[in-house]
Amino acid sequence: MAHRIGRRKNVKKGFQFTLMVVGASGLGRTTFINTLCDADVVPKRESDEPEMAHVEEAIKIKPYTVELDEDGVKISLTVVDTPGFGDMIDNEYCFQEILGYLERQYDDILSEESRIKRNPRFRDNRVHALLYFITPTGHSLREIDIELMKRLSPRINVIPVVGKADTFTPTELADFKKRVMEDIEHHNIPIYNFPYDPEEDDEETIDENSELRSLLPFALIGCEEEIMVNGRKVRGRQYPWGIVEVDNTQHCDFAKLRFALLSSHLQDLKEITHDYLYENYRTEKLSRSADNLSD
Amino acid sequence: MASTQAGAGIGIANLPNQRHAIASKKGSALTMMIAGESGLGKTTFINTLFTTTIKAPKNHKRRFNKTTEKTVEIEIIRAELEEKQFNVKLSVIDTPGFGDYTNNRDSWMPIIDFIDDQHESYMRQDQQPKRQELSDMRVHCCLYFIRPTGHTLKPLDIEVMKRLGTRVNLIPVIAKADTMTPTDLHKFKKRILEVIAAQNIQCYTFPLESDDEASTKRNMSIMAAMPFSIIGSTDDVLTHDGRTVKGRQYSWGVAEVENEDHCDFKKLRQLLIRTHMLDLIHSTEETHYENYRRAQMETRKIGEPKVKTVTNPKWKEEEEALRKRFTEQVRLEENRFRSWEQQLIAERDRLNKDLEAEHSHIKALEAELESMQLGLSPKRK
Repeated sequence: MAHRIGRRKNVKKGFQFTLMVVGASGLGRTTFINTLCDADVVPKRESDEPEMAHVEEAIKIKPYTVELDEDGVKISLTVVDTPGFGDMIDNEYCFQEILGYLERQYDDILSEESRIKRNPRFRDNRVHALLYFITPTGHSLREIDIELMKRLSPRINVIPVVGKADTFTPTELADFKKRVMEDIEHHNIPIYNFPYDPEEDDEETIDENSELRSLLPFALIGCEEEIMVNGRKVRGRQYPWGIVEVDNTQHCDFAKLRFALLSSHLQDLKEITHDYLYENYRTEKLSRSADNLSD
Repeated sequence: MASTQAGAGIGIANLPNQRHAIASKKGSALTMMIAGESGLGKTTFINTLFTTTIKAPKNHKRRFNKTTEKTVEIEIIRAELEEKQFNVKLSVIDTPGFGDYTNNRDSWMPIIDFIDDQHESYMRQDQQPKRQELSDMRVHCCLYFIRPTGHTLKPLDIEVMKRLGTRVNLIPVIAKADTMTPTDLHKFKKRILEVIAAQNIQCYTFPLESDDEASTKRNMSIMAAMPFSIIGSTDDVLTHDGRTVKGRQYSWGVAEVENEDHCDFKKLRQLLIRTHMLDLIHSTEETHYENYRRAQMETRKIGEPKVKTVTNPKWKEEEEALRKRFTEQVRLEENRFRSWEQQLIAERDRLNKDLEAEHSHIKALEAELESMQLGLSPKRK
């Protein structure tokens, strides 16, 4: 409930939220970002020269900031895109790049906190949540999926999502989600699973969180164009056999995820980042330097 | 040249019928390879193409039992198909593990080696004195499944396709095409063709010109559809207008396998089975095999085995590790033997000392005995 009280205080000031998006190219990452912000935040990927298609591109980290208005609440959203992830023949290097970026933001806060005279205009660039796009193979998690989520979950709230979920029929989607969650449990990957306390929290919170937990990994479909369906304009994809609607909860989980990220669970994600993930990093780092000094 | 234009003819025109009878009895053998990352619908496609379960779908319950061997395997599935008393011995080569790992460097080696090995094996068998019973596993065509990203070919795709194109009839295929809208699909196909041209990847082509107009038109439409977009399904579903078709049932509609507006499955099936199966087989024998043979003959004599170059770096590492372990073990054993030897020497010295002690004791006793005897004997004299 604490986060709701906090909301009333901050409504006028607005919120700041940083979200990182990771996934192999072609899974709808860029389209998702643009669909989430309802604007062309990330420019469409430039068509590379065919002669250069065999050249492997290393991963890049690109933050974009957008001002959103959610039902009267202002949100300054920073989306960090990671083009090039998983595109090389050997992808071992990708994990360290992302981890390095996350830890650098923590280092900045650490050094700022330790200052005698702190900067009032200091920008907190810590990333509050990571959406990991799982390739919709229809089988189970791939090695790179498991490796990435395992390595990054100690530093950031990892939320797995399935990109291009319109690849699946309803039965296939349910089976795939189940297998992914089984894999996550088998490999002990601590993802953000909308935690709640069955004893402390009220029924509404418990229901809300259980429902979101049962949707993991969120099935996403992204689309920036609008098309006409039965006289109304919707965001959707037009196939010869039908139309998929982005905002239709029967077709995908986009709407529910958006609400969780930007409204109901925004504070929770930030609190966990600050109170738990950052604190762990701080403890580890300071103990390491204490050990180094004592050597 | 004399030409016979008699009314009834002498029966040369019946030769095609004789050929037909011979071919029908002999049957045919087709070896097809399906390559690409897992989860692209390869198994489903094969089962859809031959309308029977050639390969069983993946058993997910066993995925936690897997060892962490990060290898690409070659899996051969054999089937015998029969239609109207004509037999086809089908071999499907699958490549599980390809492209599935974080590091896929050199993961194409097992696939390329397999193709070359079949050419090699045929060549060696052909050089034997007895060559009636040839086992021919030369790959007649390779379907390479491309992930429907909507962007372009990945560096991994390009590396593999380049190597495949020079050794086998390569047919690129866009998997799970029901992920893309028609406009996206069109753009994707165009971009793939541009990359294939720019990177000099050799794909399968066949002569378009044919005797009759209809065949030529059909050939041209097939060629124009490359790379083929496919949807695979072995399930029967009901469309909104009451037809039962093979397709995929979404909440928003049914994607049909055999509907040419939805995907190119029909065209690909036509190419692989109905019209160009023999061309695939012949071009493998006449072009790809001959290229391999020529390249080998230029450097090797008949009967000489192939020089195997083990260039796989993973194996080198393993070799190094094994060598280290081996030297370590040898060292340990040598040390053990040395200390054993020391012990034995020490034991021997100790025993020798005892022996000497006993010896001197005996000598002393002998001396005593002698002196006693000497002491006695003067009395007797």
